[in-house]
Amino acid sequence: MMIWEVFRQEGAGKYHTHCGNVHAPDREMALMFAQIQHGRRKPTHSIWVTPQQEIGEIDEGDTTFGGTTDKGYRWATQYNITAAAEEVADSESEQADAEKERGRR
Amino acid sequence: MAATESLSGPNDLDERERAAVESLLYRLADDEFVIADRYTDWQVRAPTVESDIAIANIAQDELGHARLWYDLLEDFGHSEPDLIWERDPETFRHSTLCELPFAEGDWADAIVRSYFYDEAEHLRLEALEESSYPRIRDRVGKIVGEEGYHREHAENWLRRLVSGEEGRERVQEAVDELFPYALTLFEETEDDEAIDDLGLRTRTLSAMREEWIETVTGTLTEIGIDARAPETDEDGQVLTGELPDHVGRDGDHTDHWATHYDEITNTYRELGRDHAARLMEDPDDE
Repeated sequence: MMIWEVFRQEGAGKYHTHCGNVHAPDREMALMFAQIQHGRRKPTHSIWVTPQQEIGEIDEGDTTFGGTTDKGYRWATQYNITAAAEEVADSESEQADAEKERGRR
Repeated sequence: MAATESLSGPNDLDERERAAVESLLYRLADDEFVIADRYTDWQVRAPTVESDIAIANIAQDELGHARLWYDLLEDFGHSEPDLIWERDPETFRHSTLCELPFAEGDWADAIVRSYFYDEAEHLRLEALEESSYPRIRDRVGKIVGEEGYHREHAENWLRRLVSGEEGRERVQEAVDELFPYALTLFEETEDDEAIDDLGLRTRTLSAMREEWIETVTGTLTEIGIDARAPETDEDGQVLTGELPDHVGRDGDHTDHWATHYDEITNTYRELGRDHAARLMEDPDDE
């Protein structure tokens, strides 16, 4: 019996988020089980299933995510330019958040 | 069948109309309630966790449908204990297909049974979409929305079970055993003439049975299972010899039903209840 990883999307336009898996012999049965197991209690707009063995993985034991040397220049927050366009300002605040996240780990 | 004028609400029916509406509702509600409880026998016993959850979910759907139909019987002054918990089991009108126990671990029985039942239910609901009784008509859509999954579930499983020799044999055994019981879903009672005449449903039981037989024997033959149409008389009625000893629709049930009803009502009696606890709002307020 194959294992199928299940991804649930709460609303149109949102990302499908991994929510667990189901055992099923084929795609049709996997979709049938997944809609009950993962879609019956929480708001669900769409569900994806994919065979577990089809998922590629690389983890922190295999690589160093982000490299090992200081790359401050990678971050827009390092550049002090006034009157940024709205899009740039948005991107900056996203990067500032990402930087904070990285710092926390 | 001639288009019939819409009937009015429960309080404005004459005696014949009310008897016909009640008779139809008892069969709808009892079928759903009893088969739902049977499905729950599979709880923690189905072949995989996934199939366990799926059949439990189907049982919950059917219980929900029974609730909608019993609620319409409450319109006529019946309480929930009258309709279920303190009812004489011999007055239940479900088809005997719904009450048979499953042999231990016989998943093919569960799948064939739900295949037969859900194909029949699909036709029955279609025939209620334009019912002359508005309270029935208004609830059909909600139920139909959940029935698609049941048919898909049963047929998907059926096709996979027959792909191996052991599975094919078990499906064949279940079909041989259950086919006559499934025919009882379409057996008439003394109220059916009035039900059709008043337009409570838009197709007769015979017409639905004919289509059901064609559909299920077609599918079963296609997947390599032997199934033949039963013999009928000149009026299209199934010959008695094709039916099981107990039909259910007339209140005559197998011995399994008395035991099953006893199990269903055991807790109610043990706790000395005289009314049913309400967890949910009235379906009219949903």
